Order: sequence, then C-alpha cells, then structure tokens
Amino acid sequence: MADKCVICQIIEGEVPAKKIYEDDDIVAILDFNGANPGHSFVIPKQHIPILEQAPSHLVGKMFNIANKISSAIFDTLKVQGTNIFVANGVPAGQKVAHLMIHVIPRKENDGVNLQWAPKQLSEEEMSTVELKIKEEIGNVGFGESPKTAVSTQPKKAESIKKDVSGEESYLAKQLRRIP
Amino acid sequence: MPEQQMSEEQVKELQEKIKNMSPEELKEFQKKQCIFCHIIEGKVQSKKIYEDDKCLAILDINPSNPGHILLLPKEHYSIMPQVPEDEIAHLFMITKTLSNAALRGLGVQGTNIIVQNGVAAGQKAQHFMVHIIPRKEEDGLNFDIPQKKIPEEELEAIRKKMASQLGEVKEQAPKPNVQELIKPKENVVEADFEESQKFPISEGLETKSQSKKTEEKPGEPEEKDEPKKKEKPQPEKQKPAKQKPPKETSEEVSLDNIADILGVK
Repeated sequence: MADKCVICQIIEGEVPAKKIYEDDDIVAILDFNGANPGHSFVIPKQHIPILEQAPSHLVGKMFNIANKISSAIFDTLKVQGTNIFVANGVPAGQKVAHLMIHVIPRKENDGVNLQWAPKQLSEEEMSTVELKIKEEIGNVGFGESPKTAVSTQPKKAESIKKDVSGEESYLAKQLRRIP
Repeated sequence: MPEQQMSEEQVKELQEKIKNMSPEELKEFQKKQCIFCHIIEGKVQSKKIYEDDKCLAILDINPSNPGHILLLPKEHYSIMPQVPEDEIAHLFMITKTLSNAALRGLGVQGTNIIVQNGVAAGQKAQHFMVHIIPRKEEDGLNFDIPQKKIPEEELEAIRKKMASQLGEVKEQAPKPNVQELIKPKENVVEADFEESQKFPISEGLETKSQSKKTEEKPGEPEEKDEPKKKEKPQPEKQKPAKQKPPKETSEEVSLDNIADILGVK
C-alpha cells in the first residue's frame, strides 16, 4: 500500500501511541487530542474500515474491551459517565478508514455533544422504516454466533477472518446500490 | 420518553421507600418503573424490528433520524458495565446486523452507534440500550467530537493507570457505583458545540486497488431465517485454511467498498 492507514501504522509501531491494552486481535490507545483526558480507541489490528466488515466475534470482543475500558475509566478517572461511540461512514463523522470504538469519559458540561433533537415522524413513515429494516435484517443475516468467541483472551490472528467472505457479498450488493 | 411529574412530597416519600428496600426489591422496583421493561414485556406497544431470547430492538418513537433503533437487553441493566460479557458480545453482534440492515434498507450513508453510561453522558432512561442511528449528509445531526490537546504528562499518567487497571480487569470488570451514576436529574440538553467539519478520508483510502467484488452469494439461508440458532460454530471453525493474510484481504475487501460506502470518490 502506497499510503498506509495511519491506524495501521500505529498498530505496527511506526507511529507512536499510548497503548493501554493489546492482544492478538485488538489494540486500545489513548487519544492525544481527546474529547476528555482518557478518551480511548478500541481498534482491530486487521485493517477493517467499517463495523459491518468486522466478523461478529471480533465485534463482540471489541465491545467487551470497550466496556472494560469504560469501567477502568470510571474507576481511575473520577468521571460521571462514559460514552461508547462508533462513527460508521463519513456522514456519521468517521475520519479515518479504520474501524474504531471511541470510549469517552464524560463529566457534566464538558462540551461533548452527543445529543439530538427528536424528529417527529408520521405513523406511516415509522411503519415504512420498520418494514424496510426488518426486510434487510433477513437479507443481512447474523454472521457467526458470538458464543463461539466471546472470550477476551488473546487469540490467534488467523481466526479473525471468519465471516468476512459472507460480508463481501452483501457489501458488494451495497456497492451497487450506491449511485 | 414521558417524564413523570410528582409533587415534592411524593418524591420524598418515594426516596424513603427506596432507601429501605432490599436489593431484590430494588431491582423489582426498578423494573416496574422502567418503561423499557414494560415494552419488553409487551405491556407498552412498540415497533419491534428484531427480537430474540436476550434482546429486543425497537424503533425510537422520538428518533434523531428516521430508522433510529434502540437495542435493549431483556434483562434490566442500568449501565453497560453491569452487563455480562456474553450478553455484550451478543448485543453488539445484533448491533452490527441492525446497522447493516439500516445502511442497506434505508439508503443511508452511515450509522452511529452510541451508548450512554450515566446522565452526564446523555443517558435518559434507566435501562441500558444501544442506539443505532442512520446517518446522511446534512441530516441536522452533529456528533463531531471536540478535540482537546492533552498534555503529555497527564496522558502518560492516565495510560499507566488504565493499562494496569485493564490488566486487572481482563477477567472481571469492576463495577462503578451505579446508584450514583443514574440518579435522576434534569435532562441536560447541550447546544451544538461546533460546526460540523468535513474531513477528507484518510490517505489509506485513496489507494487504488479497486478489484471490485461483484460475485454475490445469497446470504446463508439458515442464518437469515433462524437468528436464534446460535449454536452453530462449526462452519467457521472448520475452514481456517481458507483464510488469507490479513493485509491482502484488507486491500481487496475493504478499500473498494469503503470508498463507496463512505461516499468517497
């Protein structure tokens, strides 16, 4: 790759980072420019741009690590809350094409805004949305069971790649939908 | 979610009552008070889009965007640190599926996954849930996260603390004081903090390895029809030989797709 993903560079140690956790599949680092001190990222070692491309067992593992970091933040940083946040896609605020889970320590009035103003949808709109999503759930499927690999114990890297082949097909499908 | 209006006296009375409860009674009481437990039990109507024995996904009736999904564990947990590991794995596997379904079904270009632990983090209801929010350009939402330069010494101190804590928490996550975290307060509605910034996607994306995968397998039918059938690990376990080196795959699989999915040309 000519231009390497900056996150991959961090994982390979080419760019310095403050690592707080590492196993075979996952690295967690502190953000140098965090929303608040302790703002962490949970990152898969494999270059996976968006959540949908990550195998389910890796997703489960990543969020478990995120939860442990969240607990560690509560324990060590005297905060009043934490957010777990994922930005999937540019309109969602994704800035780097490498999947990451933000774990953000929160205090009252800390300037972080993950609030929204509710939108009013008509009953009809709600039903349309409901149907569309339900239909796609059937098409998307559920990947492998997380039960096969929920442990956060370090694991062999080759097990990462399980259901990506399944992913390819629907992502390819997605590809064609986009004008 | 509707807020209950109570007089000061009623509040005091209630507080006294809660103070004298046993942990079991308290949990039962919380469930009774929890609108989402009522939804899960079917006492309150909702637009259900997915359900299994562990969780329920519904459409938010006050959505941030059309298709805003709330994924709820059926068990009443107030915050995520209380949720057992296997349930987290399950919930986020479902989250991924729902996010994917929203991406495809609603023609949106992104999703946000948000968990709020504690009122300070924006939590409004006392039932742990995962928000899945479909996103489009110019949809009026702004979840850009502000950046503060954190001094090196502070960062290093935090790193040490967290790393040692995480070493310890590998087995069992310690629980923060839940009662403190979720004690009711007025909802804090904050103003948008800054203008949304458009970022060019990182350099990695511009790599030209556009070998598009167009062949299409119909999604495995047994998974599509039986989401509950979870004890099925064999297919993956049996084929470790098929795997390619991660880097090669990331180029082939990811970059061509993500460029389009993320709306980057």
